[in-house]
Amino acid sequence: MTNYLIRRAFQMIIVVLVSTIFIFLILLAQPGGPLAGIGRTTGDQKTRLSSEDILRIEQTLGLNRPFYLQYLTWAGGEDWVDELGNLLGNPGDKAKMGATGTWTGFQTPTCQEAGGTNVGADTSVVSYPCQRGILRFDFGESWSISKGQQVIDIISSRMAPTLRLLITVTVLSLVIAIPLGIISAVRQYSALDYTVTTFSFFGISMPVFWFGIMLIILFGHYFRTWGLPFFPSGGTQAVRIINGSIQDFLGVEKGSAADIAVHLFLPTMMLTLVYLAGWARFMRSSMLEVLRQDYVRTARAKGLRERAVIFKHAARNALIPLITIVVFQIPDIFSGAVLTETVFSYPGMGRLFIQALSSNDWPIVMAFLYINAILVVIATLVGDVLYTIVDPRIRFE
Amino acid sequence: MTVAKIDLEKLQEEAMALDKPEPILVTYWKRLRRHTLAVVSLFTLIAIVLGVIFGPIIMNQMTYFNVQKGEYVNYGRDIQDLASQNASPSAEHWLGTDELGRDVLYRLLIAGRLSLTISFAVVLMRETFGTFLGSVSGYYGGKTDTFIQRLTEFIIVLPSLPILLTLASITREIRIPIIPAEWTQAVIIIVILSALGWTGSCRLSRAMVLSLRNQEFTEASRALGMSNLQIIIRHMIPNTLAPIIVSATLGLGGVILVESALSFLGFGINPPVATWGNMLQDVQTDMLTAPWKAFFPGFFILTSVLAFNYLGDGLRDALDPRLKL
Repeated sequence: MTNYLIRRAFQMIIVVLVSTIFIFLILLAQPGGPLAGIGRTTGDQKTRLSSEDILRIEQTLGLNRPFYLQYLTWAGGEDWVDELGNLLGNPGDKAKMGATGTWTGFQTPTCQEAGGTNVGADTSVVSYPCQRGILRFDFGESWSISKGQQVIDIISSRMAPTLRLLITVTVLSLVIAIPLGIISAVRQYSALDYTVTTFSFFGISMPVFWFGIMLIILFGHYFRTWGLPFFPSGGTQAVRIINGSIQDFLGVEKGSAADIAVHLFLPTMMLTLVYLAGWARFMRSSMLEVLRQDYVRTARAKGLRERAVIFKHAARNALIPLITIVVFQIPDIFSGAVLTETVFSYPGMGRLFIQALSSNDWPIVMAFLYINAILVVIATLVGDVLYTIVDPRIRFE
Repeated sequence: MTVAKIDLEKLQEEAMALDKPEPILVTYWKRLRRHTLAVVSLFTLIAIVLGVIFGPIIMNQMTYFNVQKGEYVNYGRDIQDLASQNASPSAEHWLGTDELGRDVLYRLLIAGRLSLTISFAVVLMRETFGTFLGSVSGYYGGKTDTFIQRLTEFIIVLPSLPILLTLASITREIRIPIIPAEWTQAVIIIVILSALGWTGSCRLSRAMVLSLRNQEFTEASRALGMSNLQIIIRHMIPNTLAPIIVSATLGLGGVILVESALSFLGFGINPPVATWGNMLQDVQTDMLTAPWKAFFPGFFILTSVLAFNYLGDGLRDALDPRLKL
């Protein structure tokens, strides 16, 4: 097992490194790159940039670097660039290396001022003078959503609402889906079974975003016209409590935990439908499979009560395949429910991703994809390890 | 999921009465007919397809009173009527009008053409490619197999929606010179969805071929001097068709959902070209005053996806009852 874990850890590192190459290539293919603005200003006589200006901009963005160095600094930072250049004898185009003519010219101006190192820099006032690269979780600054702010700060500020939403949904779906799947399988062809299967068919065929819109129309709009306590249709908390709203009805203060819970209600309902449908269906077929096994017949034959047969022998084994599916939920939790958050203008990770994509904020997009790649790799490992714990028959050599 | 009741006695009687084995398609049809919902779905789908093909053609010939222009005009996708924006359903506009006074029903039908075309195109491309790659992978084994399987696993592990959105966002400024600009987006979406979606059928056909390649008829064809490629095309692929057809039918619904989600988020097909997804794109501003605008596109998506899923379910029982999908 230890050997296996070590081998897997190495594989994981390689997969993450390969994915950084892919993400970097995506950066190169993006529309409206960093130099799109420069092209526009050079045409005008008054605002034309001198060659020093252009070099300075190129240095700031790292565009004067050779291609391989662009990737390496993006992934691993730039504080080691001058040392490596001295080590190699500074090969390359002298003009591109700026005034110094050494690889120091490949560092950003702020990094050059700091002497090409982060050591001794006062990080409490400003961020690090030298970029540290995405492998050290330095994703640089946002380009457009909130210009100049560190990407990592933006992402962490959006983390809490998404975690709140997705954890609620996951727990709720599991708590409902597992018993529903079990009962539906045990009473196959009963009225309840038909209801569950029909429901899950609707669930997997539903365009989620449309379902969300319908929820807003019903609970937000029609409830209001009918004089019923209506639900908020977006955001995480109320700016002010409107008369007749559910907060008003329940006497909830704005900004309190209860207010946040009320705002979670509709998004949770929308997302739970999707997960619940899929998982109940999965649990049902997994349970049906197990109920046909010989050991279930043995358990019945030796005179166990039906309840014990189902919950102690069958259901436990039927849960095993569900583990992989639920564990693969981890990256999803990070990427947020893109559609749900968009429909309900919910300020979470998913909406941030959509905003970043539509405003060409590529540092955020790349940070997002990178963290996602890491989480997918971790989720795969966690899934495999959990499998060996719940099912001792599975062994890794 | 839903299981039809089987009348064993009647089946036996029918089998005894026949002296010749009935054609396989008739058997399939008889088995499918037991699955009532699948048959209902099949006819629903036929109705939708006929509707989106002929509906706009018929409506092109019909006229309505355009308040803004003050005269009778033909229905059309981009014909605006700024004097009757967001009008509720009426005799002239059965499903109402949208924020520019365009007829919702006409746009829905035209949108259906595109959504269904994209769906069929994607499924056709990815099932063909996936089946071929899977058959090659399973037939040759060894290094070819390992390589194709690693590639498949890599694509499966990609977080699908973020990657789809990123790719769609990168390619949104691409213009293909030969074809009209309106089609470019559709072509790009088709390519992206096919490129990331072939893994399912690849795995499915590989598993089938693995069990087929050691059977006697394969050996016989090799002894008769057929080349590997001929064996794959003539014997392996036809034998994997049943599960592929089932997964393709189920896949049609999935593609409609993904395409509509992309278009809804603004990374798929953009207005004025209509798809079911992008008709929902801007409804949030006035969905409370004109709920029909929000209701009908989603209703069409739900109906067709549901129908594809039920049909796929029925086809699975009809084509290969032992199949697990």
